[in-house]
Amino acid sequence: MNHSDIPVLETDRLILRGPEAADYPDFKATFSSYRSRFMGGPLNKYEAWMLYAAEIGHWHIRGFGMWMIHDRVTDETYGMAGGWQPAGWPEREIAWIIWPDKAGHGYALEATDAARRYFYETQGWVGAVSYIDPKNLDSIRLAERLGAVKDHDAETIDGNDAVYRHPSPARLRSGQIADGIALEIQNYINPLFKPKGFAID
Amino acid sequence: MTQFTIPTVETQRLTLRGPTQGDFPAVAAFYASDRSVFVGGPMTAEATWRHLACEIGHWALLGYGRWAVVEKTSGAICGIVGLWDPEGWPEPEIGWDLFDGFEGRGYATEAALAARGFAYDVLGWTTAISLVKPANTASARVAGRLGARRDGRFDHARFGTLDIYRHPAPEAV
Repeated sequence: MNHSDIPVLETDRLILRGPEAADYPDFKATFSSYRSRFMGGPLNKYEAWMLYAAEIGHWHIRGFGMWMIHDRVTDETYGMAGGWQPAGWPEREIAWIIWPDKAGHGYALEATDAARRYFYETQGWVGAVSYIDPKNLDSIRLAERLGAVKDHDAETIDGNDAVYRHPSPARLRSGQIADGIALEIQNYINPLFKPKGFAID
Repeated sequence: MTQFTIPTVETQRLTLRGPTQGDFPAVAAFYASDRSVFVGGPMTAEATWRHLACEIGHWALLGYGRWAVVEKTSGAICGIVGLWDPEGWPEPEIGWDLFDGFEGRGYATEAALAARGFAYDVLGWTTAISLVKPANTASARVAGRLGARRDGRFDHARFGTLDIYRHPAPEAV
């Protein structure tokens, strides 16, 4: 492929665009920090640059990949979300990472929900998993907020990760999970409304 | 919208085009073999897949990168050659990896000359280096045939000590 168009997704607060050169310093800051310990980091600057380039190449090879999450208004970046399946991954993964100082605003939920709907509705995915380090409690909780459940029988990457299986497109369309996600996102946007069970991160 | 185009460059015997998923088996075979010991290998297939993705992303991030080199007569991919400057590199480099079975025909030199011409004539580079592991005598000979001369050393966290070869300036070639 000599040419690539990475789609742009828009949500209430966010714009998801393909990774661009200008966003690299934000990526490097997180992937060279302790925050990346569950995603193969911390990385040195050579490894971080190579991984960032690979994030873009992944789109070309697979036709899907990870988006950079931007604020709709300020354009600042908050993290990444999307699909990921390098060699060695048993299934297509839905993945996310939020910069450490941008956590707690529901950006990962809002971005990942939009990415998953794009893969299901536009790219025709019939399902997806997330591979999560069992110690990564924040990500496990996000997977559960997205309606994913632990799949004890699924093949793992290397035996050190837990597999969370996302609801099928049909189950997601059926309402309850999608409504719950939409409600939670709206609650982040308008925090005057606080239902019981409000996630603390 | 993230868009970029990888130009195709033709030489007498070779076509330099953007790397694709279809190149993965040949690239994986190279990086699985001892031939890759001077360029960061051997690597697992998983690591090579990410490396191939990185080769493509390099073009997107910098507007240049390395090409898959195709032998015109057979259509086979015989190496990865081109321009390389990941973060932490001392300066932009012309690099060449020649695959098993394609040695001794001057392909690395022919492709690297085309890459250098692209760097000088299209991108406007005013100088270029190549980095060679000291024990990689075959690669050092290619650098010599290209007119590049030793110009110090560079220590890299992953690749160790590398000899810097500096290419003749644009006006000298």
